[in-house]
Order: sequence, then structure tokens, then C-alpha cells
Amino acid sequence: MRTISRYHRPATLNEAVDLLARDGVTSIVVGGGTVVNATEDTSETEVVDVQVVCADAIEEVDDRVIIGAMTRLQNLVDHPVVPPLLRELAHREGPNTLRNAATVGGTVASGDPDSELLAGLLVHEATVDIEHRAGSNGVSLGALLSDPGALQGGIITSISVALGGTTASARTGRTPADVPIVAAVGRVTGEGMRLALTGVALTPIVVTYDSLDSLKPPADFRGTSDYRRTLARTLVTRVLDQLGGAA
Amino acid sequence: MTINLTVNGRDRAFECEPHESLRVVLRREGFFSVRFGAETGETGAAAVLLDGRLVSSEVLLAAQADGHRIETLEGMNPPRGLHPIQEAFVAAGAIQSGYSTPAMILAAKALLDSNPNPTESDVRDALSGILDRETGYLRPVHAVLRAAAMLRGEKVAPIEPAFIEPLVDDEGDPHFEGTIPPLDLPELAPKVVPSSDVPETQVVGKPERKVDAIKLAKGNPAFVDDIEMRGMLYAKMLYSPHAHARIVRIDDSKARALPGVHAVLHHENVARVRYASGGQSYPNPLPYDQVSFDNKVRHVGDRVAAVAAESIEIAEEAVRLIEVDYEVLPAVFDENEAISGTAPVIHDEPDMEGAHDAARNIVQHIDAEVGDIAAGLAAADHVFERTFRVHQVQQAPIEPHIAISWLDADERLVIRTSTQVPFHVRRMVSPLLGLPVRQIRIIKPRIGGGFGVKQEMLIEDIVGHLTLVTGRPVRLELNRQEEFVSSRTRHPQTITFTTGVMSDGTLVAQRMRTVGNTGPYGTHALTVQMVSGLRGLSSYNCPNKKFDCDVAYTNVPVAGAYRGYGAPQALFALESHMEDVASALGMDVLEFRRKNWTKVGDPLDVAAELGEGAAEMKFIPVVTSSGMDECVAQGRRAVEWHRRYDPEWVSPSDRPHIRRGLGFAMCMHGSAISGLDMGGASLKINDDGSFNLLMGATDLGTGADTILAQIAAEVLGVSIEDIIVYAADTDMTPFDVGAYASSTTYVSGMAVKKAADDVHRQIVERAALMLDIDSPREIVLRDRAAHAIDGRSVGLDEVALHSLHQDNQHQIMATASYVAPDSPPPYAAQFAEIEVDVETGQVTVHSLVMAVDCGVPINPMTSAGQVEGGMIQALGYGHCEEMAFDEEGRMVNARFGPYKLYRSDEMPRIEAYMVQTMEKSGPFGAKAVAEIPKDGVAPAIRNAILNATGVAIDDIPFTPERVWRALQAGGVS
Repeated sequence: MRTISRYHRPATLNEAVDLLARDGVTSIVVGGGTVVNATEDTSETEVVDVQVVCADAIEEVDDRVIIGAMTRLQNLVDHPVVPPLLRELAHREGPNTLRNAATVGGTVASGDPDSELLAGLLVHEATVDIEHRAGSNGVSLGALLSDPGALQGGIITSISVALGGTTASARTGRTPADVPIVAAVGRVTGEGMRLALTGVALTPIVVTYDSLDSLKPPADFRGTSDYRRTLARTLVTRVLDQLGGAA
Repeated sequence: MTINLTVNGRDRAFECEPHESLRVVLRREGFFSVRFGAETGETGAAAVLLDGRLVSSEVLLAAQADGHRIETLEGMNPPRGLHPIQEAFVAAGAIQSGYSTPAMILAAKALLDSNPNPTESDVRDALSGILDRETGYLRPVHAVLRAAAMLRGEKVAPIEPAFIEPLVDDEGDPHFEGTIPPLDLPELAPKVVPSSDVPETQVVGKPERKVDAIKLAKGNPAFVDDIEMRGMLYAKMLYSPHAHARIVRIDDSKARALPGVHAVLHHENVARVRYASGGQSYPNPLPYDQVSFDNKVRHVGDRVAAVAAESIEIAEEAVRLIEVDYEVLPAVFDENEAISGTAPVIHDEPDMEGAHDAARNIVQHIDAEVGDIAAGLAAADHVFERTFRVHQVQQAPIEPHIAISWLDADERLVIRTSTQVPFHVRRMVSPLLGLPVRQIRIIKPRIGGGFGVKQEMLIEDIVGHLTLVTGRPVRLELNRQEEFVSSRTRHPQTITFTTGVMSDGTLVAQRMRTVGNTGPYGTHALTVQMVSGLRGLSSYNCPNKKFDCDVAYTNVPVAGAYRGYGAPQALFALESHMEDVASALGMDVLEFRRKNWTKVGDPLDVAAELGEGAAEMKFIPVVTSSGMDECVAQGRRAVEWHRRYDPEWVSPSDRPHIRRGLGFAMCMHGSAISGLDMGGASLKINDDGSFNLLMGATDLGTGADTILAQIAAEVLGVSIEDIIVYAADTDMTPFDVGAYASSTTYVSGMAVKKAADDVHRQIVERAALMLDIDSPREIVLRDRAAHAIDGRSVGLDEVALHSLHQDNQHQIMATASYVAPDSPPPYAAQFAEIEVDVETGQVTVHSLVMAVDCGVPINPMTSAGQVEGGMIQALGYGHCEEMAFDEEGRMVNARFGPYKLYRSDEMPRIEAYMVQTMEKSGPFGAKAVAEIPKDGVAPAIRNAILNATGVAIDDIPFTPERVWRALQAGGVS
């Protein structure tokens, strides 16, 4: 666990971003705490708890769903307006003790390369609203994952995902509930197909079938790079097969 | 900072630091049901309800909880008795060590508050955040379903054993041809196949409640850490970052100067006393290759220094301030490379004692032969040879190692520790601390699982040194990463079997060549590998056998005792090999084994060469009971074995990338170390006719205290409630070797029975005096009274009062001890059903069925729990758990997420059968049961994969890439 020297619970977003913007003070945002507090990093920091300033709420607006950054993963699982694929993948993020604490905003901020939920958000065309001192801006999840610096000094306030489409997923892990070595998700809409993978890059990424050969997955003890590349093709093929009719 | 919480309905204000977790604050405030499992929160042992949601309080800052509503188990506890959920957990046998039981009960409450009529799937999801290393989840899940019914106001039936008709005749032949449907029995009913020669009993053989159920179900303070000591200091260790290095300079001046630091210990200020850390009988087996602190480190995680300070944070800071210069040395991790003659020498110090060939890193060499192996192989019609590799795993008890030491009023050193071997620890720590044994008291309270890792004197010397230096109480608890790399693990091995067999399937020669990997210290190195040889060469009859073993020093974390103790390694290789030999001969895999496995009357000849006790006694044990045929028959039915021959089932046409398979493994274990293991017990009567039972035996959560109380109750004609158990305190209880080698039921049980027999004799003599009867032998004890044949009786309370207060006063009491002359083997049949994704290599285990002959189970409920939980540990060994290292010897997955333990919501179906046999040398016919479930799962899965795909995989675990590569090599995809 980090060496936390001060704890802040700001009452407003402005107060929160001001806290993050202080010169000479290292501050990190804490939502559920399951990532921040579980780290083996022992460096000193202050924490800014956003439980008051970010919403734990889910709302359907036009053809999208807006998910407050403090929304617990279990609320995502339980909420009827959330697309079925995202509900399933939120459930797969971990056991109930984690889902009851971890937040959607924290999951996005983590950029966890093995997160199936992030892959699901990618195929659901997620955009992320970030509050900075200079104001708020929206950015696509894919862009944020490829440039986490965009979050520097900012706070994720909500995530917006597109509704509709036909979805499918496939994964390979050591056990049924294990974090997958590689997972593939796909979504077909009238506008086309979106595919995403976990376990093949530093974050979950959007791919196309034709781009699979160029993957250079990082290896770990659960899977070599070659094996992960093979899994990626196999699992994407399965997803495409499941989506065959819809595609 | 001050935080305001509503805890269990009461508004409270607490002081805390910004970095402190909610768990730390709650425990400081006396909520002891909230327990440490891992600093990263995966175990769920510290789960609480936050605004009604189950969360881990380990990764929640206390400050985050400010203003919220918290519920702990203490808030559910009625002043007396149990909440219905607690009641259901007790009745269902869902509690073993009880360490994580409070979290499970809270999880159940959260579920049932919102969903009074949950499905099994709902329950499994609700428990998914609480890792259970003990029960296999079956009983906790069904306890919650039972609680739900109770809370809905439904009547629930008592849980009784389901007695099942035997399936084999006296010749061992099955009554059926393999296609009868499996039984449909209640999940919680212990499944018992009775034997007609087992006498009727009143308490033994019954699913009695655990004697420690109340305190465990209510989360009462019962574990090492559940005490408060004024002036406590907190210890932290500095561990080696290098796999092999010499300490050329150590400077503790900055650490000592840090305010709040009371002691810093390392090799320059602690006496160099050689020892072996394995908790074993005197004299501890060689080598003596450890000291409390050395000037050389031999694995990442090896001890360098210890600090005692006024808080954990200060101790951690002091550890960071210790300056150490290392001369990094080349390291070796593979056992075969280590003994090649070209590897770096790990023990080059002149004062180490007892390694076989330290210059070649060979700590032990074992050579044992029965018959003439060369002649046997030469005479065989066929000779088969195959090499297997088993890997390194960790015992992973949810409660890590923890010890608290202090000086009592007489300035004797007291160590309250989570150990399996309190008496060994007292003897072994004595020379290290320079204290005589009489100045040391070891207390083992409840412990949160051990599985062998606590059969070790691991941290007791550290707290002892620190208390002696400071005069203060000292607490040392390993964190999860330390538990992985700085405690003990299972020995990796390379095993080669060479088997000579005649064309009719008769074994004529079997050679087992093993290279074991003990890490840098030889604790348990000799005996684990001896058990490997013993188990590898005892299961089957064969006139010519040879065991040839080298044990290598390497620079991986230290190996030691782990439930099964060498047998799981050996039986993976043996049962894989036997499967292959049967297939090569074109024989049915069960019939080939049956033709050769040991039966009643067969000698266990290699035991005379490899058994610790038997080796010294030089006698050849003989099998005196076996239910192996019945075990196989029951398991075949339960797993629907005939499906493995059905091509449509193996290759389902609707799932072209899936292959299904069924696998089998025969298992055989021991029941103690004959001639060596000793247990002791004392019994005394109280004024009301109840009894204090004082034992050295060490209950790890296995239910040992309960079954030993049942044995005493059976002899004395009382209920188990009349037996008050106190155990494992070196000042208060008789000696016992502790909990290992499957000895507690068999050895400690006989000690209790002997003591109870003596007390029985004294009671009937007193009753005869009271009833004026000449022959005490005519008096029987039952229903808490002594009954004469003429119908008169006196209650045991009257007997007690008479003997203690009225006439010829005498304390009815007895002490007895027992050394097992034998070690009758339990037998078991292990079956596994799996499916393989041949495109990815993913193996999914769908069911595990084990039928065990453990003699007469003293308590079918606790025995079933041992089998169910043991199978799931074994599943982890074969399927997913592994310690993974980088090239520098650093473990890369030393936390519970990457080091994968099965969760409640991903479990295969598990089923345990207990096949009774009457083992006349055991207490009321009992044999051991705790370890054998570890033996057969890995080979059964391997053989199921072979059945499914035709590909034999000879190393574990069966993780996706390993399986995929084997399938690719085998041309299967």
C-alpha cells in the first residue's frame, strides 16, 4: 500500500481538481480503492477521494447510456439499461467484494490490459468525460487508453457508451473465473463491426481481423507472446463466427 | 484524523492515520472477526458490510468509510447461542479452521437480506470474494441455502450420513457392468458405504458438531492475533533481494537511530547456532544448514535482518534504512542443473552439518532396493520408462505465519504462535535463544490453516530474540508476499519411472529415480523425498523395486512440508505412468491397476527401507484393511465412467473444438509414521461428571479436537458436550508430535482412547464401590451414568462427587500416550471429468469424485470436509497454481490474483464417498483421511486429458499454453 500522508474528500469537482493541481504535491484519485490501495508501490502520496463529487448513477440518454464514474461495477451488473455484454463483462471483472467496491471510473483509469470490461467499453464506443482545472472535455476511451497522460490532473466524471448492436465474446483462462490470458469481444451495428482484445498490448485495444498479424503481445508467465497472438486469432474468429449472422 | 462510522448500528468516532485500512482500525477497536488475509484484498477474510455491500476492508482506507455504515459479524452475534446463518454453518460442517467464516456469514447475510430465496448460483456468487483453502466451498454454499430455508421459516431436516449399499462382492468384483445411474443424494449428507464388521457406537461415527463451533461461527477472539498486549512492539523483516549473494557490509545505524525502534537484529549481533527448521522429532534430521541470520543469502526472500519498533510503519521504515552491500553470486534454480557439478555451490560455509555432498549441492542421497531391480527389468517382457516434472506451489493458508511473544510474570518466554508443532518448536527454539526448554512456553490457539507450512519453526526464533532483547511483547506477521517467498513450499521434483512388466500385466520391476528441489535449505528434504519413494513404490505389488534419489540445493524459495508430503509428486508420476503402461499393453486401465495394487495381506516391503520409523525397526508392514475395490466401484458409478468409451461423448459434434475425458488415479497413503509419532492425552473428571481432555494434538481446522473428543465420549458413555477440550499448550498438555503425517486420528486418537479406557476403569471401580458390587466389569457406562446389570445405576456426577469429596477421595484421571507400531494405509479412487479446448489448450474441470477408505470415519461430516477441501487444493496443484519466477529468481506472481486459487463461483462438482473398513489397529477402526485427497487429482486430470485427446502431458500444472503446446506437438488441434 502507498504511504498516504493526507486524505481529502472534496465537496466539489472544482475543489477536487484544485487539489490535484497543487505544485510539489503528489496526489492520486481514489474511487473504490481496490487498485490504489492494493498496490505494492510504497511511494508517498496524498489521496483525493471522489466519492462525493462523482456520481454513482446510470442514465439512458437518447441512444447512449451515461455511467457516473463512481458507479460500482456491481451496479453496472444489476442495471437493466446497461447493454448485456457490459453487464456480463462487469461481472467478470472480479468477485463480489471487488465489484461492490471498484468503480467504472477507476477501471477506466487503470487501463488494465486484462480488463474485459474495458474491451467491452471499447466496442461500445465509449467516451470518457474528464474534468480538468481548465474545464471538462470528452475523449474516446481508445484515445485515453493510448494516451493516459490525457488524464493527468483530471478526474473522470462519467463514461458514455453506445446502445444497440449484436455482441459476442470469447476468452481463454486457467479457470472459468480467471482473469483471461486473452479475451476477444465484438459488436456489430448498422455502421459496422468493432472488435477489441485484452492481453495483447499494454491496454485493451481495438483491432481488426487483418491487423492481428501485427500484434506484439507482451509475455508473462501465463502466456508467451506467440501463444497470445495465436489465441487472439482463434478467439477473434470465434467472436466473428458468433456474430456471423449479424455481420 | 477522526472518522465517524456507524458500526453495527452504533455511531462511533475513531482516530486513524490517512494510510490505515478499515481492517486495521476495526481490529484496533476490538472487532476481531475482521481478519487479515492479504494486503491486496483478494482473500476476503477481512470482508465487512459497507452500507450493506460486502467489501474487503483490507483495501478500503478507513477514511473512505467515514460517514458510512459498517457491519461486522460481532453485530450479528446474539448474546448466547447462534444466529440462524451461524447455526446452518455449524450444522452443515461448513467450518474448518473458521478463520474466514465470519466473512462468509456476513456474505450470506448480505445476500439473504436482499434475496431470501437464492439459487445455488446466487450463493456461489455471493461467496466469490472469500477464498477458502479448506472446505472446497461445498458445505458453505449449502449452509447458506439451508440458512435461507430456515429464515424463510421452513423446517430443515437434520443432516445425517447417507448410507450407501456396497457395490462389490467379497471377491472385489462389482455387481454391475458400469452403466447404472449415479445416486442422487443430498449434497450435505456425508456419503458412507458401511462395512458389516464395524461395531455399533453412540458417538463415534456420528456427524457431531465441532467442539469449537461456537467461537468460530461467532468470530470470537480465538486466533493468534486476537489478543491485546500492552507495550507491544511490531517486527518486520528485511529480506534478500538476491537469489544468491554474500553480505559484505551491513549498517544498521540509521535504523537504530529512528525514533520508536527498539531492536535491529542480523548476523553481526545474533549468535550463530546451526539448526534445521523442520518441525520433526528429536533428533531433527540432518542437515543443520540454517542459522537465525547468516552472512550469506540463498534465495530472494531469505532473512537478512529483523526490526522491532513501536508500530508497523516505523518498523517498515527502519527496514528501509538498513544499508546492506551484497556481493551477488551466480544462482541456480533447476534441480538437475544444480547437481550437475558445474553449478555454483550454495553451501560453502565450513560449519554446516550433514549435507550429503555440499560441493555438488546434493543435500541428500537416498538409495533403497527390494529384490534385484536389474534382474527384474531383464526378465520383463516389456520395459517402459517415462520422466515427469512437478512444480513448486505454496500451501497458502489464509492466515499467514504469525507469532506473538512476551515474558510472563516469572520472566519465562511465552510464544503464542500459529504452528502445527508446538512441542517441536519449544525444543528447537531453545538452543537458538540460549534458553532452557523449561523457560519457554508455546501456545497454539486456533490457527487459520496450515497444510504443512506451519510444521516448521519459521518465525518463533525471531520474536523470541526480539522479546529477549527488548523485554517487550513482540508481534511478527508475514504479509502475503512474504508468505509466498519466505516461508515454505512444495518440493519440485523430476521423476523417472522405469517399469518392467510381463505380457499379462504383472509388474516385475519398478525403479523410481527422483531429483528433488529443496531450495537452499534442507528442511524436510530427506523425509519428503523418502515419502515420495515410499508412496511411489508401495501402491503396487512388485518383487523388484528401487528408489534412487538426489535432493538438490537450489536458489528457489525453500521447500518443506505440504499436505501429502511427497506423495502428490510421486503419485502424479506413478499414476500417469501406470496409465501409459496399461494403454501400451492394451489393457483396461482399471483392471491393470487392480491386478497389481496392494491388497489385504500384501507386504509393504519398501516401507522397511524408506519408512522413518519402520526403517529403524526393520520390520515389513502388511496391509491389514483395504476398501480399494469398493472405492473404484463407487467412483465409477458416480462419474459415469462408461462415457469415456463413447466417441460421441468424447467428441461432441456440436462443439468441434471440444474433447471430453474421464480420468482415474489410485491413491494410497499412510496413517502416521510408525514407530516414531507419539501422541499424549490426559483426562480428568469434574464435579458434574464432565471431563477435561488435555491433548498435545494440534487442530489446524481439520476437526481433530472434535474427533478426539468423540473418542473419549464414546469410551466414557457421555455426549461430546461433556468433553471440554484444551490442546496444544506446552505448559498444560501432554506431549504430541503435532499435526502432520496423517497421525492425529490414528496416533493421538489411540492416546485419547487409552486415557479414556483408564478413566473408564476408575469410574467403574468407584461405581462398584458405591453400588456395593464386587465385579466392576459388570458395570457399563452409558447415558452419563454407570449401570449395573441388576438395573441400578449412579450418575457420573454422583461418581465424581463421591470420588472428589466423600469417600476415599481420589481424582479420577489418567494420562496416556501412544506410539503407532504400524501405519495402515488409507486407499482411495480419484476420478476426474474434464473438457479440453483443443484450439486454445484450456482445460475445464467439470467434476471430481473421490471414494476413500479411511477405515471407520470418526466423524463423517468432518471427514467429508477433509476430502472435499483436499481435492480442491489438489485441483489447484494440478490445474492452475504455480510459483512463477523471473530470471533472477524473483517470484512474479506472489499475490492471490495471479497465483490462482479456485473461487466458489467456478468450482467443478465435487463428491466424496467414505468406504468403511474396520482397521483393527486404529481407534474404533479409523485410519487417516486428511492427506490422501491431495494425491490423485493431478494424475486423474492428466489421464482424463489423455482420454479426451490422446495426448499425454507429463508436467503440471495443466495451464492453457502448456496443454496447447502438447496438443500441437501431438498433432491435435
